[in-house]
Amino acid sequence: MFRVGGTVPFMDPTQATREVFWNIEYTWLVYVLMVPTLAVFGWGFWLKIRRWRHGQAAIRFDRPGERLQLFLRNAVGQGRTIKSRYAGVFHTLVYTGFIVLFLATTVVAIHHDTPLHIMKGHFYLIFQSLIVDVFGLFVLVGVALAAIRRWISKPKLLVYTDEASWILVTIFVMALTGFMIEGWRIAVTDDPWAAWSPIGNLFALASDPLMSDAAMQTGHVAIWWFHLVVAFGWIAWVPFSKMSHVFTAPLNIFTANLDGYGGSLKTIDFESAERFGINHLGDFTWKDLLDFDACTECGRCTDVCPANTVGKSLSPRDIILDLQALMHKRGDEFLGAVNGDGGNGSGELLPIIDQKTAVSPEALFACTTCAACMEACPVHIEQMPKIVDARRYLVMEEADFPEGMMDMMNSLESRQHPFAGTQFSRVDWTEGLDIDVMAEMDDPHEAEVLMWVGCGGALVERNRNTVRATAKLLQKAGVKFAILGREESCTGDPARRVGNEFLFEMLAKGNVETLQRYGVRKMVTSCPHCFNSFRNEYPHFGGSYEVYHHTQFLDQLLESGRLDGNGAPGGSNGSPTVTFHDPCYLGRHNGEYEAPRNLLAKMGGTRQVEMQRSRNTSFCCGGGGGMAFVDEPPDQRVNQERAQEAVDTGADVVAVGCPFCATMLDDGVNARRGDRDVKVKDVAELLWDTIGEADQAAP
Amino acid sequence: MKVLVCLKQILDPDVPARDFQIDSAAKAARRGGANLVTNIFCENAVETALQFREAAGGDVKITALCYGESSAEDCLRKAMAMTVDEACLVERDGNTNPDAEAVGRVLAAAIQRLEQDGGPFDAVLVGRESGDWGVGQTGGLLAEELGRPALGFVESLQPGNGSVTLRRQTDVGIEVAEAEPPFLVTITNNEDNVPRIPKTRDVMMSYRKPLQKLSLADLELDSEEIRTGSSIFEVDEIFIPADEVECELAEGDTLDERVDQLARRIHEVVASIG
Ligand code: SF4
Ligand code: SF4
Repeated sequence: MFRVGGTVPFMDPTQATREVFWNIEYTWLVYVLMVPTLAVFGWGFWLKIRRWRHGQAAIRFDRPGERLQLFLRNAVGQGRTIKSRYAGVFHTLVYTGFIVLFLATTVVAIHHDTPLHIMKGHFYLIFQSLIVDVFGLFVLVGVALAAIRRWISKPKLLVYTDEASWILVTIFVMALTGFMIEGWRIAVTDDPWAAWSPIGNLFALASDPLMSDAAMQTGHVAIWWFHLVVAFGWIAWVPFSKMSHVFTAPLNIFTANLDGYGGSLKTIDFESAERFGINHLGDFTWKDLLDFDACTECGRCTDVCPANTVGKSLSPRDIILDLQALMHKRGDEFLGAVNGDGGNGSGELLPIIDQKTAVSPEALFACTTCAACMEACPVHIEQMPKIVDARRYLVMEEADFPEGMMDMMNSLESRQHPFAGTQFSRVDWTEGLDIDVMAEMDDPHEAEVLMWVGCGGALVERNRNTVRATAKLLQKAGVKFAILGREESCTGDPARRVGNEFLFEMLAKGNVETLQRYGVRKMVTSCPHCFNSFRNEYPHFGGSYEVYHHTQFLDQLLESGRLDGNGAPGGSNGSPTVTFHDPCYLGRHNGEYEAPRNLLAKMGGTRQVEMQRSRNTSFCCGGGGGMAFVDEPPDQRVNQERAQEAVDTGADVVAVGCPFCATMLDDGVNARRGDRDVKVKDVAELLWDTIGEADQAAP
Repeated sequence: MKVLVCLKQILDPDVPARDFQIDSAAKAARRGGANLVTNIFCENAVETALQFREAAGGDVKITALCYGESSAEDCLRKAMAMTVDEACLVERDGNTNPDAEAVGRVLAAAIQRLEQDGGPFDAVLVGRESGDWGVGQTGGLLAEELGRPALGFVESLQPGNGSVTLRRQTDVGIEVAEAEPPFLVTITNNEDNVPRIPKTRDVMMSYRKPLQKLSLADLELDSEEIRTGSSIFEVDEIFIPADEVECELAEGDTLDERVDQLARRIHEVVASIG
């Protein structure tokens, strides 16, 4: 015999609905079970909030409009999550599925528990049946894809915990049992609207020949309660598992740092600070503590971390997770620690820097502060500033840091530049160029812009051609500019990134004073680190300037016609293929990706190719964060990894826009170019080669 | 126990050649834009004193003393940031005379003054030599002025029972000596007395530590006499040595020929130098 699907043709779709709690007795039990479920759920989140509230102050609810935008884009819109293709797909399936199923449950509640009987008619058929079924399927498929990744392909970036596996299993079970009970209800009740629930109907059709109505009815009751218990248990478990990211991640995105990575380090009030830098959870801000709870363990940060990529122990993911674990496991001690008692009765604060965890001094001092981790994190966790916080503690409280960084800081302290043993003075590079020095000008205000040369430009042999080229281009365009000459001091960037905030502050204050003396308002610099400091960090010390990276300034000169880009096409370079390496402090930290590319495009004869990792996913040269001053082990050199990528594009020229990138990639390319002739050149050098007159090299 | 360390501020030896000028008439280096730093061996001496205090369990008071211009306050602050307890600057007015005997007299007078006020120093530590003139006589002459026994090229001090154990570098190896205070040693560098980087808190605290200033008049010294210096030392002429490099390429069509040519030239050059 074969079953006909009821009396569909004669029924009125406006009357379509289904019975809530069909086949279920003791429905009051649902409400009884809901109470402890919600209580545990609420208690779990209350525990979290209580912990966060022990953090230091941070202003993260200002600028609500911008925050809402970010929230819509990256929380609701999953803007960053979907950037990783595979994870993006399955996460979107599960995420949208959850939202639809949650809405469906809400509809049921409204329909059943309020006088608003909304679950009927076309709404019932289209949303509550068809759409819900499709999205339920999404959840099943999404979880299956996630499981394939976790259990079969096993990429390195994941953290393999039982918890993560159980999350997949329970979600799968919930979705599957949902379809089972729907299917058996359809089958037993001969639901005339069965076709609107295609997946449930599939179950109905599959079960029908195998099971009697009575068996299905019994199965339905059992599975229904099982489904409910799993779902309630799961809800209660959420705040205690990484599923809490469903709530913490959107909150974290809403309260994210809006000022760009370039302005993400905290300032210290040295007069009042009890400790310099951070070695205790209680010294973090509440937002830092929220960060720890928002981590989804996706591993994207560690996956893109240059230090991790070349095999160093640094893993931003594990730093976040180890601190999260410390915060959770030592909850009481942590709360006690804030009150000055370690909770273990000793009165000592629990240290976060620990040789046995991911927060080890070696790991901390391997960070190039490139911010790739922050850019990759789907939930806007701020890993790098925490690394700098901990470095500050090591540097300022313990005076404990790698030798190369020590020499650099010694030199900064006594010579105001980081290059101990340089053969050059700050003005040697100007020889034969007739460049005004502010101190020697009758009226320094005559200079329309100050060229901030930077230590890396003036004092490192390889880069003096870059600053010469920049100066000559400015001269050619008729720009009235001047330099500070010997009065220029390091902006303090290397000191700040290494963690010596005190030294940074001294240098910054000194520079602000000098710049004030000459009434400087506008600056151009070929060093993205100086650029970042002036743009994002000096305002805190009373120095606000209109500052340009030389590629931006030169691009404007070309754009406005003050410079003519159509000199000899290709110039002395012939017609090279060029690949541009984005400096972290120009690109990710300050969002400038176009100016250097525009410049290259405007140079006659050059052809641009992109590296695999470019623009906001660019891979650090290895020189940031004071790492340019550290001798890396030969088999763990970030610059060689990057140089290989550049060489692999087949480019003749690796174009750079930063003195640190220039030296790091020079070394790297020389090690990796093999027999090929691959040059590393600053964009300004290339432009001068293209349109400049014949010029003698730097003396 | 009380330890005194003498410091000298010098022109940064790492200054690039172009920043360095000689005033041949005045027979002096002109500072120009170059930085001033603490002489490295003096910093080694500070570090050695600090390590001695740590080994002795803390009950050691360390004083830093400098004869220099007012800029030398930076050196003393840095020493105090490294956790030296107090400092004294004897102000000099602009004379860079390298006469070690005159400097020894000034330092001796200052030490005697400090001892009058605060009791005798058990050990006086002086850097082996300075990075600017490299005369290397100040320690010995100061000991003479003070009438104390002295030992040179010491690399570490260890507390003993009422005495101090010294390790000193000699041409044939390390010599270990016992010294009864008071004494004077000149300090040389080794891998263990690399000057520490001060903690930021200590840098800030250094501004709250006492820094006494004395003039030559306070020490009842005739500044004119000190400026002229003694007769044991006179600067004849100073100049930047010309750094001439001649580059020659070994030529030849094959590698063998080039190696032969290279070997031949090495023999010739060595023979010509004699
Ligand atoms: S800032 Fe860069 S180097 Fe540092 S942890 Fe993040 S990705 Fe790694
Ligand atoms: S910190 Fe962000 S990117 Fe890193 S594992 Fe956690 S959620 Fe993923």
